Amino acid sequence: MTFVLQCLVAFIATVAFAVLFHVPRAQYAWCGFTGAAGWACYLACMAAWPSAPMASLVATAVLTVFARAFAAYRRCPSTVFLICGIFPLVPGAGIYYTAYAFILGDMDGCAANGAQTLKIAVAIALGIVAVFALPAGAFRVFAPREK
Amino acid sequence: MDGPHKRAVLELAAGMGEALLENGGEIFRVQETMERVAKSYGCEGFHAYVLTNGIFASVDGPDGGEGAVRHVPASRVHLGRVAALNALSRDIELRHIPPEEAARRLEEVRAIPYTPAAKSVAACAVGAACFAVLFGGGAADGAAAFAAGLVMQLCAQKFLTGSMGKIITNILLSAIVTAVGLLASAAFASAGIATNPDYVLIGGIIPLVPGMMLTTSFRDFANGDYLSGTIRIMDALLVGGSIAVGVGAVLAARAAMGGVLG
Repeated sequence: MTFVLQCLVAFIATVAFAVLFHVPRAQYAWCGFTGAAGWACYLACMAAWPSAPMASLVATAVLTVFARAFAAYRRCPSTVFLICGIFPLVPGAGIYYTAYAFILGDMDGCAANGAQTLKIAVAIALGIVAVFALPAGAFRVFAPREK
Repeated sequence: MDGPHKRAVLELAAGMGEALLENGGEIFRVQETMERVAKSYGCEGFHAYVLTNGIFASVDGPDGGEGAVRHVPASRVHLGRVAALNALSRDIELRHIPPEEAARRLEEVRAIPYTPAAKSVAACAVGAACFAVLFGGGAADGAAAFAAGLVMQLCAQKFLTGSMGKIITNILLSAIVTAVGLLASAAFASAGIATNPDYVLIGGIIPLVPGMMLTTSFRDFANGDYLSGTIRIMDALLVGGSIAVGVGAVLAARAAMGGVLG
């Protein structure tokens, strides 16, 4: 139940970002699906194997696949879905905890949180890059037929 | 191909590239779109070099070449315009619409309005609330983050419209988020409702986090556009650092005033 609720919240959060980035209204729901898919995948990975960088890698790869598939299906640049959908995975919490430990003078905590944030950022980069290495033809099956 | 036509195609390609770049397109897309436009109109010898903040394009010709340089300073992301430019580029390539019509449509795309201010404020507040919940908070944390996101976006629109530069703007906005988030938490606490300021503040700062810059930077690197990727990652680091400074300053000030951290 919590899982479903979390995915729903991720959906709404992603749509909120789609509004902030002036995405066309017709794509709101598709951005939401992309974000929810990434977050669902992240939660599932964290439940199976609690490592935030690993879960971020898998979740980013999955959500990038969704973004590219929706791009073909909706005839809209993948950037639109990717940028909105990635927000739940971006290590905003990492930046916060790193700064917080720094202010407290907790240098060990600062270094640990900073390193973890960096790992997550690298994992996200790898996830995106790996899926964009796939040829465009692989996603053409999702394209609507020409009228 | 005659001179005036060549000039018109070059102007169109540079204009589309400029519009894509300033609204958040990645380098590869900008470059590819410009080359496709030139090719569709039979413009031989077209070359373009695109950076995060500038475009250089030229067309060779026996009677002397034509050139166009565009300076594209960082501006607000508008993914709706990126999508519309994508559709325009497809129509140029597949339906061969005349250059005059393409130029007219480019002007229309540039005029697509931003989301109304009130809607942006609502979206920012809802986004902040959702993220507070996603990162482990409860309904009360979400409500406090809602207030922080609301005030932050209002301030961003009313007072901090970019004239102060990115660094100061982000420091101020994240300080505002932190102050409002802490006040909202304190208000809930005095009403007997427990909140966790960590979740409230994380939810509140997410709308400021440079997720778009990071994502685009990674994609630029992946496409071999290292210079542009570097510019964007510097941008992301500066914004991330500014957020840390803004949040940290308010937390430190609170500690200095005798409040307990966390």
